[in-house]
Amino acid sequence: MSDDFDRLSKDLSVEEFARFRDYIQRHSGIYLEQTKLDSLRISLITRATRHEFKSLEEYFQLVVSDDDEFRELLNLITINETSFFRFPQQFDALRNTVIPEIISEKSDPSRTFRVWSAGCSTGEEPYTVAMTLLDAGLESMGWRCHVMGTDVSTKALSVARAGIYRGRALQNVTDDAMSRHFRKIPEGLQVSGNVRRLVDFGYHNLIKEPYPLSLMGDWDIIFCRNVTIYFKVESTRRVVKNLFNSLNEGGYLFIGHSETLTSISEDFEAVEIDGVFLYRKSRSGRRTQVMTDVMAPQRMLASRAAAADQHTLEAPGPSRQERPLGELWRRDAEREEARRAEPVATGADPGHAVADPSAPTEAAEPEQEDVATLLEGARVSVQSGGHAEARAALGSVLERDRNNFDAHLLLAFSYADSGDYELALKECDRALAINPLLPSARYVLGIIYQRQGDLVRAVSELKKTIYIDADFVLAQLNLGNIYRSQGKFDAACRAYQNAVESLERSPGGSWMEFMGGFDADLLARTCERSLIECRKAMGIA
Amino acid sequence: MASARILAVDDSPTILEMIKTILEAADYEVITAADGAEALETARAEKPDLILLDVMLPKLDGYRVCRLLKFDQNYKDIPIIMLTAKTEEQAMATGIRTGANQYLTKPVEPDTLLTAVAEELGQTPG
Repeated sequence: MSDDFDRLSKDLSVEEFARFRDYIQRHSGIYLEQTKLDSLRISLITRATRHEFKSLEEYFQLVVSDDDEFRELLNLITINETSFFRFPQQFDALRNTVIPEIISEKSDPSRTFRVWSAGCSTGEEPYTVAMTLLDAGLESMGWRCHVMGTDVSTKALSVARAGIYRGRALQNVTDDAMSRHFRKIPEGLQVSGNVRRLVDFGYHNLIKEPYPLSLMGDWDIIFCRNVTIYFKVESTRRVVKNLFNSLNEGGYLFIGHSETLTSISEDFEAVEIDGVFLYRKSRSGRRTQVMTDVMAPQRMLASRAAAADQHTLEAPGPSRQERPLGELWRRDAEREEARRAEPVATGADPGHAVADPSAPTEAAEPEQEDVATLLEGARVSVQSGGHAEARAALGSVLERDRNNFDAHLLLAFSYADSGDYELALKECDRALAINPLLPSARYVLGIIYQRQGDLVRAVSELKKTIYIDADFVLAQLNLGNIYRSQGKFDAACRAYQNAVESLERSPGGSWMEFMGGFDADLLARTCERSLIECRKAMGIA
Repeated sequence: MASARILAVDDSPTILEMIKTILEAADYEVITAADGAEALETARAEKPDLILLDVMLPKLDGYRVCRLLKFDQNYKDIPIIMLTAKTEEQAMATGIRTGANQYLTKPVEPDTLLTAVAEELGQTPG
C-alpha cells in the first residue's frame, strides 16, 4: 500500500475518533468503544485510500454527504467486530467434529495440537479457540494445546494480552462458559489463567512475505475470519496460499461465515459441517464428502466487494451455477434460521451434516433444546396470528434467558402485528440493547414510527436498517414511500432504485418474514411500479 | 369494463403496496387505510365498490369494522373480503356473523385474490 496509507494511519486523533464514532452512533445506532479504535482506523483508511483522499477530514465530509459511502464504511466496521464465540456454530463444528477428526488421524508422538488465529484483533477469537479446546477435553486426553494469535495492530495485541473484556465482546458467552473461563476483576471480566496459558500473541502482517518460520507450518487449524476482505484479490490469493502451505495435511481453515474462497483458491476441499462452511487441506489418498462450492450469503458479497476487487468477487464461480438459485435461497434462509437460533444452537442437526455423517455430535442439552423449540414454535404462532400462544412461549424463554434478543424481537413482531405499538417499541429497544445489529428490529421501529406519523424518526430507523443490512429491501421501499409522500421525488427514486437492485442481488433475506406470505416477485413488481410512478411524478413536478 | 374502486386495509405499508400492485395491474383503482378507524372513515367518505379487510388491525379490528359497516343501511351492500391468518380460522365463526362476503386465508395467491374480487364485483359468473 501507499504513502497515503502510512500518513493516514497516523492521522486518527482522539477528537477525530470521537467525531466519527458519534456520527456513526447517531446515524446507525452502533456505538464503537475505545477498544474499537483500531477497527475504525483500518476501516477509515481502507475507504479513504480507495478514494485517494489525503486526509480523514476530507473523508469525513464524504461520509456526511454520501449515504452510500457511509454504508460502505459501516459494512467494514461491523464485519470487523469481534466478540467471544462470534458465530458460535463454527465453534460447535470445531468442538464436535473438527477436533475429533484431526486427533483420530494425527500420528504425532508429541501429541501437540496447534491453532493459529490470524488477524486476531483484541484476542477474543484465540481465547474462544482455547476455551473450545479445553471444553473438547483435549488436555484430559493428554494433548498439549497451543493457540497463537497474530495481528498487525500492536495496540490490539496489548489488549489481547491483558485479556480483560466488557460489554458487547461478551454477548455470546453462555453463563456456563462465563463461570468456567472468566473471572471478575475491577476492570471487567478477565479470561482465566487456565485459558491464557494456552495462548500466545505476536505481531504479524499477513501480506508481508516471507512468513517467519515459527508460523510457516505445523498448524492443525488456522482461523482467518473476515480478514481477507481488507485485501485486494491478488493479495488475498497469496495470503490464502501461505495459509494453505502452513497447514498440516488434514488441517482446517476457518474463514468468516460470509466469506468464500471461490476464485481465490482451489487448493482446499470445501466441507460443510452442520451448516458451517470450512476448508480442509486434504490428506493424500483420503477424501471426505466434499461440496463443490461454498456459497456465502449473497447479501454479504456486496459488503465484501466494498473492500476488495468487485469484479472477481462478484463473478459467479462455475459450480455456483450448477445449483438452482431457489435452493441457494433456501439454504440462505436455513442459515439465517440457524443464525437466529444462535444463542441456543447446538450444532447437532443431522439434516445439515453433509460433510461427515459419522462424525460424533453431542446431543442437545434438554434446556437448550427447549429454548430453541419454544422460539421456533413462537415464530410459527406469530406468523399465523396465534399471538397468545406465542407470547406465552416467549415469556418462558425470557424467564430462562432474559437476554434472548430473538425472544424480544418476536414479542415486538407480535405486539406490532396486533397494533400494540408502544409495547412493540419497548421490545424492539430491548432486543437492540442486547444486539444493536438487528436489522429486523430497526425495521419494525421504522414502520411503527411511520404508522404513528413520526416520519423523521421513521426515516432515521429505516436508514439504520439499511446501514446494518444494505439489502434490506423493505426498508428501502418504505423509505421511498416516505420520501415520495414528502414530495422528495429524487430521494424516493434513489430508494426505489436501490430496492430494485438489492432484490436482483439478493432475492431473500431476513426481511422475508414481513412479507405476509407474498413472494419476492410481487415485491420486485411493487418496487418497479413505485419507481415508475415516482419518475412520472417528477416529470409533472 | 368500468374500473372499480377498492379500499384495501392493512396496517403494514409494505403489504398494502403489494396488494396495490396486484389490483392496479388488473386495472382496479386502489385507496388504502392503515387501521380500523381510518378504514371506517375512508369507507364513509369514499364509498368504495369493495373492501379488502385485514383482521389484525390497530384501534379497531377487522371484525368490528366489518360488523359496523354491514349493520349500516348505507354501507351494507359494499362487498367485504376479509384476510385472515391460519389460526384465526376458528375465529371465522365470529367473522361470519359480521357478515363478510368472503374470507381468504393468508398467504393469499395474487390470482386467488383477483378471482375473489372479480366474483364479489359480479364481474365473473358465479
